[in-house]
Amino acid sequence: MKKNLFQRVFNSSPRRRAWWVSTAILVITIAALLVSGGNYYNKMSDSIAGATKNFVTLPKVKDIPFRLGLDLQGGSQLIYEADVKSLPEGEKNGALEGVREVIERRINIFGVSEPVVQVNKTMSGNYRIIAELAGIKDVKEAIKMIGETPLLEFREKDDSATSTAAATNNADTKKLAEMNKASNDQAKKILAEAVKGGDFVALAKANNPAKSVTSNTDSLSIGTENDGDLGWITEDVNPELVKPVKFLAKGQIYKNLITTKSSYHIVKLEEKRLRDDKKTMEYHLRDISFPIYAAADLAAANSQANGNDANWKNTQLTGKHLKRAVVNFNPNDGAPEVSLEFNDEGAKLFEEITGRNIGKQVAIFLDSYPISVPTVNEKITGGKAVVSGTFTAAEAKLLAQRLNTGALPVPISLVSQQTVGATLGQQSVDNSIKAGLIALMIVALFMILFYRLPGLLSVFALVIYGFISLAIFKLWPVTMTLSGIAGFILSIGMAVDANILIFERLKEELRHGKDLSKAIEDGFSRAWPSIRDSNFTTMIVCFVLIEFSTSVIKGFAVTLLLGVIISMFTAIFVTRNFLKLMSNKWLTKYNWLITSVKNKQEDLPVTSLK
Amino acid sequence: MYKIIQKRKIWIGISVVLFVAAICFISAWGLKLGIDFTGGSLLEVKFGANKPNVMEVSEAVKDLKLNSLSVQPSESSFILRFQDSSEEVHQKVLTALKKLDGSKNSNVASSFEELNFTGIGPSVGQELQKKAIYAIILVLIAISLYISYAFRKVSKPISSWKYGIVTLVALFHDTIIVIGFFALLGKFWGIEVNTSFVAAVLTVLGFSVHDTIVVFDRIRENLPKSAEDFENTINKSVNQTLTRSINTSMTVMFVLLSIVIFGGLSIKYFALALLVGIFFGTYSSIFLASPLLVVWNNLKKKAQ
Repeated sequence: MKKNLFQRVFNSSPRRRAWWVSTAILVITIAALLVSGGNYYNKMSDSIAGATKNFVTLPKVKDIPFRLGLDLQGGSQLIYEADVKSLPEGEKNGALEGVREVIERRINIFGVSEPVVQVNKTMSGNYRIIAELAGIKDVKEAIKMIGETPLLEFREKDDSATSTAAATNNADTKKLAEMNKASNDQAKKILAEAVKGGDFVALAKANNPAKSVTSNTDSLSIGTENDGDLGWITEDVNPELVKPVKFLAKGQIYKNLITTKSSYHIVKLEEKRLRDDKKTMEYHLRDISFPIYAAADLAAANSQANGNDANWKNTQLTGKHLKRAVVNFNPNDGAPEVSLEFNDEGAKLFEEITGRNIGKQVAIFLDSYPISVPTVNEKITGGKAVVSGTFTAAEAKLLAQRLNTGALPVPISLVSQQTVGATLGQQSVDNSIKAGLIALMIVALFMILFYRLPGLLSVFALVIYGFISLAIFKLWPVTMTLSGIAGFILSIGMAVDANILIFERLKEELRHGKDLSKAIEDGFSRAWPSIRDSNFTTMIVCFVLIEFSTSVIKGFAVTLLLGVIISMFTAIFVTRNFLKLMSNKWLTKYNWLITSVKNKQEDLPVTSLK
Repeated sequence: MYKIIQKRKIWIGISVVLFVAAICFISAWGLKLGIDFTGGSLLEVKFGANKPNVMEVSEAVKDLKLNSLSVQPSESSFILRFQDSSEEVHQKVLTALKKLDGSKNSNVASSFEELNFTGIGPSVGQELQKKAIYAIILVLIAISLYISYAFRKVSKPISSWKYGIVTLVALFHDTIIVIGFFALLGKFWGIEVNTSFVAAVLTVLGFSVHDTIVVFDRIRENLPKSAEDFENTINKSVNQTLTRSINTSMTVMFVLLSIVIFGGLSIKYFALALLVGIFFGTYSSIFLASPLLVVWNNLKKKAQ
């Protein structure tokens, strides 16, 4: 009868079956090896391809990285407490979910890869929001950003109060002069740097405010990046800037500040060329500008300083009526602005507000600070508004994002934080790898010296265990923390426990005079209850730790638990099959490979050879 | 065969001395609780080439009036501990320390670095304490349940609940010794215990109990078929499981030793707690639990 593969595997002699199983183990091991050490394999395949001039090209594998915890890659864990006392029970969960989402959105602005934000109820009934920010550079900023509640308000003039904003008094003049002096000083300083040969683009990026240049026509193209690139312009378009620099050589910077109505400019002539009409010259300019403040700019700041409640009164329109905010660039001067789109209620309110304030100013306040004080020209319908202030493109973007992420539904406070610098993380990884390798070597040495051939086989099983565990950690993925690595290293020591139990039992069976194959068989089956029991208590503890503890402890318990489970498979299944592979006759002949226990049926102990 | 049970007075004596000493340490000094439990801040900072000394660091943050501040130098960094945990204080401390770095030698670029900061609010600390206690209680209940399951079969001449009680006594002994050891470390070397210490103790509980159960299993297996008296049967059982007990603990202890020596500061004491616990767990399963069974059996005989 022709046997199919299935039957050949399962209805064969024990030895042959052992070969089949061992092949399966080998396949699993290779797979685990490729997963756990994918990056090393890829490097190797590259170098082989290089060495053989692409004659041998091994297929690449997908390189799955370990998911490193905060303590290993550096980063921050922030724990916030949400104050939901004022909320009825039914609304708490919704509010907390809202907080979670807002925090997550705010973190996303920082470009943190895979932020983890979760809500946690403590045993004493408090609500915690735990945010994990891996690899974050500026925790200080993040904390500020998360904790802030951006409050956008639209205010109108309070007619009952005496208006002081319009009148420019002496103090204002003085203040204005101070501000402009500071601006001028800064401009001179940067000019000196630029002339000395500083990187103009970098300086521009660092210093340019939003309004890079005021132009006379709409045709002027202004770079949306604030690198100060003005593109090709003619003298007609912007005589103020072009005139002084038109006779400079390419790449030169005008030695003085150019003062226009609203700014001080540092201008560099990048290139010049004749237009296609062969008449007019075109100039490619780059500039860095510093604002010159006018009385209007001060008015907004003043209203704050003078006590804004006296001058401005709140309207009902706030950030919560916002549908969305986006960054635009003013088509006239390229200045970044934030356009707001209101929801239906907001649109109605906005219409009313603009309607009753025609010809008057309306202020947009962010966190109680006026960011824009436009004058209303006409009643605005359709629920759209533009906030234009003196901000840079980056600031405008941030404002839009913050407005979009919205306000926190309930107040939160930072109750705990943990930050680990990246250097320390790397050092910890190095230390623990070293500790793990040394541990592995000592255990291997001990097993081989004490248990000879079976010991060696158990070391193979241990190495296979290592690869399988690491592969599972990657695939699961288990977040690797320092304590997790400790758990894994500890499990290396425990993984051979099962083998020790088996081998001790094996020696005992041999002492009872059983022949080798029977002793091996019985050794495995009788040691099983002990192995099961000993791992069981460890597993109980791991479950409790996973359920009841902080992330640090969890990391330890998870790897230890996985380690215990995987090691039961490798220590018993793998070692047993390897032992079965050995010819019984051969093993009996070289009895000393197994144990020094003299088998009663054997009269050829190794000691007689001495 | 080693005469382990016969010399039980020595072994039990050692255990009693250690146990009493541990109790004394704990009641006299208590454990030095880490900020996990008490709340507070731990800040580790590294300075560049111009490393200041401890006095200068303390001086730099003096104006901030930090509560119970301690500054501890390590190889290339400083560890500052203080009671306050707010972000505001954290930033102030950093600013003060940064200034210190710049002021010493302005030619050298500042390489001040914040390696590590943990700030735990007092409410979180209390919560972690509570959690730790819950975890310990839960593990003890789970283990007791497991023991009563493991010894559910009736056996003679000792009833099964006695095995259970002795196992728990051994367990208690191991735990107290580990805690006592850390009370000692806390008193003289300032070693703090934190949540990972609790995890270590719980792991030790798991280890210790299985070691004891394996020995007791062997005793129950041997008792009915043994021709020898109670004491010798137990001694034989202990001897049969001796290599196994010692070797399994040895491999684990090798590994832990490797972590203690090479594994870096943050997991060193965690591994040390495990190491001490597993050592005494093994000791108690061989030299305490089984002898106690014999002592108990003899007492019963005397009473009769």
